[in-house]
Amino acid sequence: MVAITINGTEHQVEEGQSLLSAAEDLGYDIPTLCHFDVVSDAGACRMCLIEDQDSGQLLPSCTTEVSEGMDIVTNNERIYQARKTVLDLLLSEHCGDCEAPCTVACPAHANVEEYVRAGREGDFKKALAIIKERIPLPMSIGRVCPRFCEEDCRRNLMEDEEPVAINDFKRKAADLHYEEYTEPRRELTGEKVAIIGGGPAGLGTAYFLRKWGIAADIYEKREKAGGMLRYGIPEYRLPKDILDKELKHFHEMDGLTINCNQELGTDIEIAELKEDYDAVVIALGCWQSSSMRTEGEELALGGIDFLEQLAKQNFEMEDPGETIVVGGGNTAMDCVRSTLRLTDSDVHCYYRRTEKQMPAEQIEIDEAREEGCNFEFLSQPVSLRKEDGKLVLECIKMELGEPDESGRRRPIPIEGSEFEVTADTVIAAIGQNTIAPDSIPTNDWGDVAVKEDSYQVEDNVFAAGDCVTGPATVVEAVAAARKAALNVECFLQGEEYSEEKQTNVNQGHWESLSMEDLDFLEEPTPQERVELPTEKAEKRVTNFCEVTETISAEGMEKEGERCFECSCTSKTDCELRDLATRFEIEEPFYGGFRSSSGAELEADNPFLVHDDDKCILCGRCVRVDHEVQCSDAIDFANRGFDSRIAAALKEDLGSEDSSCVFCGQCVEACPTGALEYKPFITERLELDVESTETTCGYCGVGCKLDFKTADNKVVKVGSVYREGIPNPDGEACVKGRFGYEFIDHPDRLTKPLIKDKESGEFQEASWEEALDYVADNFQRIKDESGAEAFGSLCSARCSNEENYLIQKLMRAAIGTHTIDHCARL
Amino acid sequence: MDNREVLICSGTGCLSSGAEEIEEAFQQELVDRDLLEDIEVKKVVKKTGCVGPCSLGPIAIVKPEKTFYGKLEVQDVEKIVTEHLEQGNIVTDLLVEEDGHKVEEYTELNFIKGQKQIALKNIGEIDPASVEDYLKQEGYQAVEKALLDSTPEEVIKEIKDSGLRGRGGAGFPTGLKWEFTAQAESEQKYIVCNADEGDPGAFMDRSIIEGDPHKVIEAMTIAGYAIGADKGYVYVRAEYPLAIETLASALDIARDRGYLGENILESDFSFDIEIRVGAGAFVCGEETALLKSIEGKRGMPNPKPPYPAQKGLWGEPTVINNVETLACVPEIINQGSSWFNGIGTESSSGSKVFAVAGDVIGTGLIEVPMGITIKEVVFDVAGGIPDNKELKAVQIGGPSGGTIPSQYMDLEIDYESLNEAGAIMGSGGLVVMDEDTCMVDVARFFLDFTQEESCGKCPPCRIGTKRMLEILERITSGAGEEGDIDKLQELGERIIETSLCGLGQTAPNPVLSTIRFFRDEYEAHIYDETCPAGVCQELAPPYVIEDETCIGCTNCVDECPVEAISGEAGEVHEIDEDECIACGACAEVCPVDAIYQRSQGKGDA
Repeated sequence: MVAITINGTEHQVEEGQSLLSAAEDLGYDIPTLCHFDVVSDAGACRMCLIEDQDSGQLLPSCTTEVSEGMDIVTNNERIYQARKTVLDLLLSEHCGDCEAPCTVACPAHANVEEYVRAGREGDFKKALAIIKERIPLPMSIGRVCPRFCEEDCRRNLMEDEEPVAINDFKRKAADLHYEEYTEPRRELTGEKVAIIGGGPAGLGTAYFLRKWGIAADIYEKREKAGGMLRYGIPEYRLPKDILDKELKHFHEMDGLTINCNQELGTDIEIAELKEDYDAVVIALGCWQSSSMRTEGEELALGGIDFLEQLAKQNFEMEDPGETIVVGGGNTAMDCVRSTLRLTDSDVHCYYRRTEKQMPAEQIEIDEAREEGCNFEFLSQPVSLRKEDGKLVLECIKMELGEPDESGRRRPIPIEGSEFEVTADTVIAAIGQNTIAPDSIPTNDWGDVAVKEDSYQVEDNVFAAGDCVTGPATVVEAVAAARKAALNVECFLQGEEYSEEKQTNVNQGHWESLSMEDLDFLEEPTPQERVELPTEKAEKRVTNFCEVTETISAEGMEKEGERCFECSCTSKTDCELRDLATRFEIEEPFYGGFRSSSGAELEADNPFLVHDDDKCILCGRCVRVDHEVQCSDAIDFANRGFDSRIAAALKEDLGSEDSSCVFCGQCVEACPTGALEYKPFITERLELDVESTETTCGYCGVGCKLDFKTADNKVVKVGSVYREGIPNPDGEACVKGRFGYEFIDHPDRLTKPLIKDKESGEFQEASWEEALDYVADNFQRIKDESGAEAFGSLCSARCSNEENYLIQKLMRAAIGTHTIDHCARL
Repeated sequence: MDNREVLICSGTGCLSSGAEEIEEAFQQELVDRDLLEDIEVKKVVKKTGCVGPCSLGPIAIVKPEKTFYGKLEVQDVEKIVTEHLEQGNIVTDLLVEEDGHKVEEYTELNFIKGQKQIALKNIGEIDPASVEDYLKQEGYQAVEKALLDSTPEEVIKEIKDSGLRGRGGAGFPTGLKWEFTAQAESEQKYIVCNADEGDPGAFMDRSIIEGDPHKVIEAMTIAGYAIGADKGYVYVRAEYPLAIETLASALDIARDRGYLGENILESDFSFDIEIRVGAGAFVCGEETALLKSIEGKRGMPNPKPPYPAQKGLWGEPTVINNVETLACVPEIINQGSSWFNGIGTESSSGSKVFAVAGDVIGTGLIEVPMGITIKEVVFDVAGGIPDNKELKAVQIGGPSGGTIPSQYMDLEIDYESLNEAGAIMGSGGLVVMDEDTCMVDVARFFLDFTQEESCGKCPPCRIGTKRMLEILERITSGAGEEGDIDKLQELGERIIETSLCGLGQTAPNPVLSTIRFFRDEYEAHIYDETCPAGVCQELAPPYVIEDETCIGCTNCVDECPVEAISGEAGEVHEIDEDECIACGACAEVCPVDAIYQRSQGKGDA
């Protein structure tokens, strides 16, 4: 034993071991990327640097042996910065995508790739479960989401191809299974939260709180819950019976109540709620139409006011006559398309910029145009007056100047270009504001003010949704709801809230890439996007029926094949990502050239895939190959920045020159996604796998293996590292590692069969019947021909005990010594 | 002939300036005139290792007068043979002129006079192929003294007392290294000679092996005796075929003569040496990588500790000494530690070989006592800066070293003072830079080298140096950004702190030292988008034509590689400044000097 001092505390430790193992045994946390328990240490990754107090030097703890009197510090600012720089540099050349771009683009971070895959496999129930992890209103969002995910879909990179129809998976999964599916909920803790507002943000917050065991009472001022979904988005986009179906689930949730006709200031008071509940969440939304700031603007209807009125009248309203809608957002489009359904007169849309700058979704603009809307661009209202029973709107023509802070070119009035138009109705749909409660602090825009990087307003009052951000989308509201709920949960547990952040390496937006930059096992083939069945425009404008239909399950399964599956197979167990997250690295500070973006995957063999772009050259695979398997199949090639791990002669591992035996131990050793099992990539990629330790059935050695299963199917075979087992260093042979497909193979015999002599067909039998059948026949043969008519050959795949039993059977029960074993052949 | 000898310097510098032709001419003359009597021609006309003053090559030294003839041409040989060898008169016309007078004796040359040769002592004096020559210079006396008259402990003590420190890089005390290895418990120990000389421009180790191979053998044998090793390796790069050949034949001779092998000099001590040829990776000069390479593995370093003295070659205690270090050992044993200790400074005894290169008159190898000032080296020994240019800085220590500006020229060279100035002794590269040098470009040049030579094992060196190089390339191409200098400094310091081996731990030095002393040049590149020295082409100001002088000859029009010059014959030409890439080709061909670079004015271009 030697005495060493770690962080000021003296310890007695075993001689001969490394500082890293000594410190780890004592519970000190030292990060490392190149240390791997079953092989020698290289001191390569520099993550395990510690400070030697005698020399003042940073030393790698993995290669430094403990010695008497050693005095080290395992963490301080200098060490932290050194490690962070190393990680930063590693990330600067690490090329790939942790998460798929769609998942990153989704404000709610729904696991897009996973639910699309489930849909492709026809498992829409599973898809819904994945979706509802993050999106509590999939029926509505499946219809009205502006599809941020699809804008970033890498499928866009392919010539003449559109993105995967991601949102339609949500709609399909919800339409099929929403009513029957119940999300897992924790036991109620007894804590209770009041939520003001029954729109997407309020509903979402209540949903997540309830999931995590916190009861929530929603107070809604209108007759029914749903907020913008009910009173903002028109029937033809989101039928209210669909919404009712979606909300029924909320009404039925235990520990969650929705109390309607409860107006703040009249029926409820924040001060009282603060007292009565553990926390209060304000989710009021944005319900005040923005002013046009023109003379006579009071003669115009507010966009959101118009839509709310329409919804309240069940989409039956008197003919508004010739109508002008001012504005270019989705609310303006909702107003345009609704009025088109209410009148046969002309409907115009005036917008001060051009179509390109319209914030509305393109599909809304296109469909409005199809339905007969006349767009007038670069026109800004100047004043509104009433003349002879008609409204006269004076406008001025605009031209585009320099880009403003939003990046859009600023419209500038053209002097002397004023003109007048007349209409029966003018709707100003140019934006909405929050009406914040009196006692609540607001920010410069009049929205509810929350503390920086949190959702807390003050004390036990929180806020989320449009009333914090200004008008946004439903998916953004539910994303904020989840964070606010988390914030509340932290508050109730007395913990500090910090946003969940995870380092995400990204190859870049598809617009900055070429197809060559992407790595594929198989080149993707062109495939047309599934089309949402849409009612014809001339029929659409006659009623408020939903304009689209949900796509068939078969259509969606086929659509799923278009997904590139961009994310990394190691995203949930990547040591580099975990450390980068811990060191809070978002973008590498020392960015620069990435060594080999676009390098092709090496996979000319059936078992292993090597993605060089993700390799951090820790050398674990090489050491496992050299020291445990002793194959010498892989090594470092090239030098310096161009270094890489390569097979012999830089051929594929499957080539004739390679000594690789496909034991898979390099994959087990790889801390990132640089080495992966090919069947695992091509067949399925699961977020949640279960581990089951088992004994390999291929031979009598009895190797321990770690079967990773998902949905009760083996998805890959990992290693078990433990002293005292036949393969303590995680060894496996190609059969043990890759030969698991038989387990679920349809041809596999799982029940005894006895051949029917007459028909010649095998018939299923019970074990008793089968054993009796064998025993009877043994007896018959022995009686007829004697014991020497028997002989037995045993298999090396049997254990010693099994071999012992067969010889016992032969010698004692049958009475023959004619016994042999394949190992002797 | 009166026992005369003609020594022809056959270092690489002289060979490339025509030494072989000179040697053949001498041999031919002697044979033709039948002056050899019965002596073999090779005993009279001898090849030697590098004499040092490469800029004066080809060189012949006539003994016994030690008359120095430099910059020889083949037709000069006849005159030397007739007048000097036959008649005994020195050919004054062919002597080198220095400070207004002709220098007769080799040792009187400024370049030689200022030196204190210990490691290089025999080079230029003896024929490396002749063990007799070596024996005449006290050769193999040291090994005899050590093996027969001293205990290993006494040998180690002598080396320790001499204050000898490693000449290959970090300057670790040699005696201490031997002592640690001697004390390490093991049946098997090794001595390794590091001849993997990798710094660009440094060639002292090659010169020693090529010029005085027996000295290295003798020194390794002494070291082996001192630490208890029976086996030595010389790790030499494949780019040194002559050194390998010379050493191999010297090893054979030494074995024949009983200086190597079983029971050396009947002392009961057995020792032998094997040559291992390296593939030329710079990192293999790092001792742990070198050991890996000898073992037949990829040349990648391992963290220290454990040091080679504890766990070296094949896990056994090993001493690794550089060639120049070893070359001092026999001299110390022969002359005594106090003699050696009397030379140099308190912390750095003895002398050090420098490979002087760059903007300096006397380029080549020099061995000067420690404590000499940089100014003395550059001006007194190496003859100063050509073309009356100003000295700007010297880079000491090669790509791992640093740049020292002209205001520090009185700095006395030793290990500590160089470290303080941001440079290192290293293997002794010394590049002199005049006023026309761009310091950012110098930093980029050295970092480009080390970045290329990184082995790739640890991220700070593998990726960090690449990132630094990218920033430097950005700066020298005019795309430097605000904050780049801070980034370079911060990243550089981190790389030094976190890299696995000496390569990474020193690679940022040229960048950090140039930022330290020439920050304004970096700033000029980034903020003013100019290269003050006019070196960085993408930042160089364009060329212009002086209307009054131009004769409209169209030479420049034809020469311009980017067709930036317009003008008919006989009319004044014009350069499109936006197109001009400032290559200067036009100015070179202008017959009337009408073209000059914009910022520099006429005459400077």
